[in-house]
Amino acid sequence: MKVGFFIGCNTSFNRPDLEQAVRHAFPALGIELDDLEGQSCCPTWGTLPSVDVVGWCAVSARNHTIAEQKGLDIVTVCGSCYGSLSEAKYKMEVDPELKAKVNEVLQTIGREYKGTSNVRLTYYYLYHEIGPEKIRASLKYTLGGLKVALQPGCHTLWPSKVYYDKEEDPFHPRVLKEMVEALGATVGHYTRLIDCCGMGAMRSTDMEKSLNLFRRKILSIKEEVDPDLIITGCSSCLIQFDTAQEMLRREKKINFEIPVLHFMQALAICLGADPEKVAGLARTNVKSVIGKILPS
Amino acid sequence: MSQVQGGIGIINLSAGDPSLVNEIKELGGEELLECIQCAKCAAACPMVLAGFPFFNKRVIQAILLGLRDALLDDSSIWACQSCNRCTEVCPREVNPFEIIQAMRRVAIREFALPTLAIEGLKSLYDTGHAVYLAGAGNTRAKVGLPEKPPSTLSYPEALKEVRTILENTELAELGVIPMGESGVTDSCEV
Amino acid sequence: MVPKIGVYICHCGENIAGAVNIEEVRAYAEKLPGVVVARNYLFMCSDPGQELIRQDIKDGLVDRVVVAACTPRTHEPIFRKALESAGLNKYLLEMANIRDQDSWPHWHDKEGATAKAKRLIASAVAKAAYLEPLEDRYVEVTPASLVIGGGVAGMFAALDLANMGYKVYLVEKNPSIGGNMAKLDKTFPTNDCSACILTPIMVQVGTHPNIELLTYSEVESVEGTFGNFKVKVRKKQTYIDWDKCTGCGDCVNACPAKVPNEFNEGMDYRKAIYIEFPQAVPKRAVVDIAHCLNCAKRTIGTKPRVHSKTGEPILAPCEKACKTGACDRSREYNPEGEILEINVGTIIVATGYRVMDKAPFKEYSPQSPNVITAMQLERILSATGPTGGQLKRPSDGEKPQTIAFISCVGSRDKRFHTYCSKVCCMYMLKEARLIKEKYPHLNIYIFFIDVRTGGKDFEEYYNYCRDLGVKVLRGRVGAVDELPGDRLRVRAYDVDLGAPVELEADLVVLATAIEPAPGLEELGRKLGITCGNEGFFKELHTKLYPVETSVKGIYIAGCAQGPKDIPESVSQARAASSAAAVPLTAGKVVVEPLISEVNQRKCTGCGTCVQLCPYSAINLVEDKDRRRAKIDEALCAGCGACAAACPSGVITLHGFTNAQIHAQIKALAC
Ligand SMILES: Cc1cc2nc3c(=O)[nH]c(=O)nc-3n(C[C@H](O)[C@H](O)[C@H](O)COP(=O)(O)OP(=O)(O)OC[C@H]3O[C@@H](n4cnc5c(N)ncnc54)[C@H](O)[C@@H]3O)c2cc1C
Ligand code: SF4
Ligand code: SF4
Ligand code: SF4
Ligand code: SF4
Repeated sequence: MKVGFFIGCNTSFNRPDLEQAVRHAFPALGIELDDLEGQSCCPTWGTLPSVDVVGWCAVSARNHTIAEQKGLDIVTVCGSCYGSLSEAKYKMEVDPELKAKVNEVLQTIGREYKGTSNVRLTYYYLYHEIGPEKIRASLKYTLGGLKVALQPGCHTLWPSKVYYDKEEDPFHPRVLKEMVEALGATVGHYTRLIDCCGMGAMRSTDMEKSLNLFRRKILSIKEEVDPDLIITGCSSCLIQFDTAQEMLRREKKINFEIPVLHFMQALAICLGADPEKVAGLARTNVKSVIGKILPS
Repeated sequence: MSQVQGGIGIINLSAGDPSLVNEIKELGGEELLECIQCAKCAAACPMVLAGFPFFNKRVIQAILLGLRDALLDDSSIWACQSCNRCTEVCPREVNPFEIIQAMRRVAIREFALPTLAIEGLKSLYDTGHAVYLAGAGNTRAKVGLPEKPPSTLSYPEALKEVRTILENTELAELGVIPMGESGVTDSCEV
Repeated sequence: MVPKIGVYICHCGENIAGAVNIEEVRAYAEKLPGVVVARNYLFMCSDPGQELIRQDIKDGLVDRVVVAACTPRTHEPIFRKALESAGLNKYLLEMANIRDQDSWPHWHDKEGATAKAKRLIASAVAKAAYLEPLEDRYVEVTPASLVIGGGVAGMFAALDLANMGYKVYLVEKNPSIGGNMAKLDKTFPTNDCSACILTPIMVQVGTHPNIELLTYSEVESVEGTFGNFKVKVRKKQTYIDWDKCTGCGDCVNACPAKVPNEFNEGMDYRKAIYIEFPQAVPKRAVVDIAHCLNCAKRTIGTKPRVHSKTGEPILAPCEKACKTGACDRSREYNPEGEILEINVGTIIVATGYRVMDKAPFKEYSPQSPNVITAMQLERILSATGPTGGQLKRPSDGEKPQTIAFISCVGSRDKRFHTYCSKVCCMYMLKEARLIKEKYPHLNIYIFFIDVRTGGKDFEEYYNYCRDLGVKVLRGRVGAVDELPGDRLRVRAYDVDLGAPVELEADLVVLATAIEPAPGLEELGRKLGITCGNEGFFKELHTKLYPVETSVKGIYIAGCAQGPKDIPESVSQARAASSAAAVPLTAGKVVVEPLISEVNQRKCTGCGTCVQLCPYSAINLVEDKDRRRAKIDEALCAGCGACAAACPSGVITLHGFTNAQIHAQIKALAC
């Protein structure tokens, strides 16, 4: 099995440890990663999508064509990339006129978008292609004994119509829960599970408002679950959860810290990866959790 | 006539700009007129919860009334998370998120865009990455990765492709960022 | 004889004249071949307008008439009468629809509209030259009527006709009549108890000597036309001898099988053998064979095994309990049921509606038992419901302290139904009011998009609910989260506060949409009547012929035509019954002579037409040396399928002959 790895800006430059996690976990589960050489930004929402539809879809389509030429699906760890790539693909599918316009632009660089590669998010890909049972069987270590709260992330859920891998009920997502349970953790439910974490455009526009939104969410997690660890499905959420807690603490708006990992990081660690490489850039105290996962 | 009268915040509907509706429809907000202002999209919109003055439902109403200035004078539309929860729940298939995007497109055509958006676009043109952090090479090295990812950063001909695309789309016509040899800053060196 | 054609152009007030240059068109028409006079008038259908036509006929000026006006659907009969009263055969009329097909759609293109009017008139004139006088036919009417659907609308339609002395067959697919109204607790706007006002009506229907009640039955096929419909009705097998069954319920008590109870909207269980509800009419048991356990191996249609010791037959509990012998499982197994053939002159369709299920609305946490539909709440409030009328939430039977209603669930929603279900605003207020009057301390919040309470005494009802302390919010709920303790968090944006709001509730009630009864489209196909985009049966004309359909002799009433409340359903039912009685009273109906005829001398007997006729009106009959096609005048509906297909071109569709159509097309093409 082979799949194209779309890394995305935030993962490449902000959390390359997450990139490492993917690079460890996929091969460990028997999936070869292709680098999709020459990939660019997805492009993210605040840039070309906010300028015009054709430009957005053209840059997106170029990324698609790299995978198409190799006959591969695209897999990404970042919710924003997942959303932007999926939505552009959806738009071109339902609007052939748009697709034609995009291909006109792509002609200038000698490419043609066909729409043959699917866009997948890492943990959905593993869920469907490998399955929780097999993953459970491949683990060296487990999250046994850990109580975990989840952050699936908006872009893994909505708008459900654009995604290749769909939750049966996006308002009550199950896949991340099953995957984390496959790692051996106990997953605690909290009632603001599907609420937005405040990362993204909001954070760049108004940090204070973004933090307020995040605070509501993290308090719900603390009060309703009080977990040992938060596991996210999206790299953008990872960054928010990782950094915003510290900022809130500094402002004395919360007085706790919950370690945060992306699902791929937790998986890589359980598959025996070096925590320094796959989670070494975390700002929260993940060491304490990792200590519980790995035998001393 | 101004759209907001004398400090007391009365909105002057007579000064509304009727052309805004069509502009939005042309820029990707095709389903605008399907909106019945039911407010379902606003019920769980992060922008509403965080307290931004304009959000899906309200942006749409303001567009319908042609309140161009009110929308452009406020930064709300740039705070939309693109979370698309509104698109998921809208009973009229308005795709409210697309309306906000379309309003951003209007704003850009009037050069009413935040610096961050300009920087993102410029970075996209310069490096192929909208989000690019100086010093990232070190961070990557720290976790054992090559300094440059296998992206446009490592493949100059790929970067050239991205630039060609950008030069052939509306971004170039709008002149929001400098393009061509002169425009490129060397910041892409990791 | 050269025809003398008169052209009469109507302004239709501004409707036509606003887009079409009437004088220009009139001058043009005057020069068309065969036209002897062309006139125009403000309202051609008014008496002075018609008089213009009549006078020209009487003066011997014209002997063919073209009226260029609105739609023949509503106006052809009027102008035909005008011809007739002036002594001209009424089929020497042709209409050009320059309003619906011209001025209205091309309102903003006056030049184009004027040009198109000229062509439409030229084409009508060309056809008029070939018109021939035709004679009406009359057929005897079967003095009986069929009503399909035994809800409140169907029952009133049946009663009215029966009281006029006509035989009525009432076909209802459920075991009992009553429909959705039988499930309601109290009914707005007067809050009378639904069962109290409905039960006497049901009994009247059940005992009326002129009404033959066919419950647990469905229409299988419909043949024939206006005045003489032949209908096949399938009576489903009940597995109980209804002549013997007294409705005592002994078998029901004995049956061990549990099945979700449809009448209580799935909130409790009924047995496999059941009586639909306590007030059922007819009050008879039926066996739901799909869920029957065949206790004691008593599969229907088998002989009982015999007890080895006592020698007694081993019976199923239901049989054993039945004292009348109605429940006898040795009876023949016949899941197909029996087919009844009935003949009626007119048909009324009153198949009502069903309410949407909550399941599709994932954003409202339908998996929670405490998220219910408004119809489920009706059952909870009803004394015959699953809680005996006690207000209890389904999860644990506790009395809810805070209740939230959500409006327009599946209505005004492009993903489900774009129409407004019309009654939910009122029934939410009603349910809130009933609860609040009983338990003033409960907190009730209704989330509307906007409150629609148009109707006599409705706004007063709404105000009264507000006085009672029911909280009304504008802003559609976007999310319902499940909270610990079986509670729910309702999230909305309050438009009036301009703020997001959250409410913790014990019970969330969804006003799910009213949608067409299942199988409506298929029934429509059998009857030849059409459904609108939204899926309800379409009336012939919204304002003028609201209970008629495109098929003569078939009428609609109640929610089968669209969402409406009980007062409206009953009014419509009584309008339908009086419309359906007209032909029965007249005893005979006119059949337009616009039907096909075979020139038998030239027919080769190939049989092409026989296969094509959707009304089975054509037969090949032996005629001298060979077989030739013959069309049954009573059955032919004038669709023209045969005339178009006949390879020898020997079938004529009167009123649309080849010569007429060719002339019309030729005129249109130039
Ligand atoms: C929750 C709720 C509360 C309401 N409260 C009120 C209220 O308080 N006041 C008020 O005025 N209105 C109320 N209404 C509206 C009211 O229920 C309707 O106006 C009324 O029941 C319509 O009657 P009907 O005879 O047209 O349809 P129905 O009651 O639906 O009857 C149709 C009948 O036709 C039968 N049928 C369907 N298809 C076939 C078929 N193919 N062959 C044979 N039979 C068939 C059905 O089994 C049914 O018995 C309420 C509606 C709802 C959903
Ligand atoms: S965009 Fe959709 S959800 Fe939002 S107010 Fe309009 S119709 Fe309602
Ligand atoms: S996409 Fe934007 S407008 Fe829509 S819910 Fe998310 S933040 Fe609000
Ligand atoms: S055999 Fe009689 S008692 Fe047994 S399940 Fe069937 S109906 Fe009920
Ligand atoms: S009647 Fe009221 S609740 Fe029902 S669909 Fe219409 S507006 Fe919505």
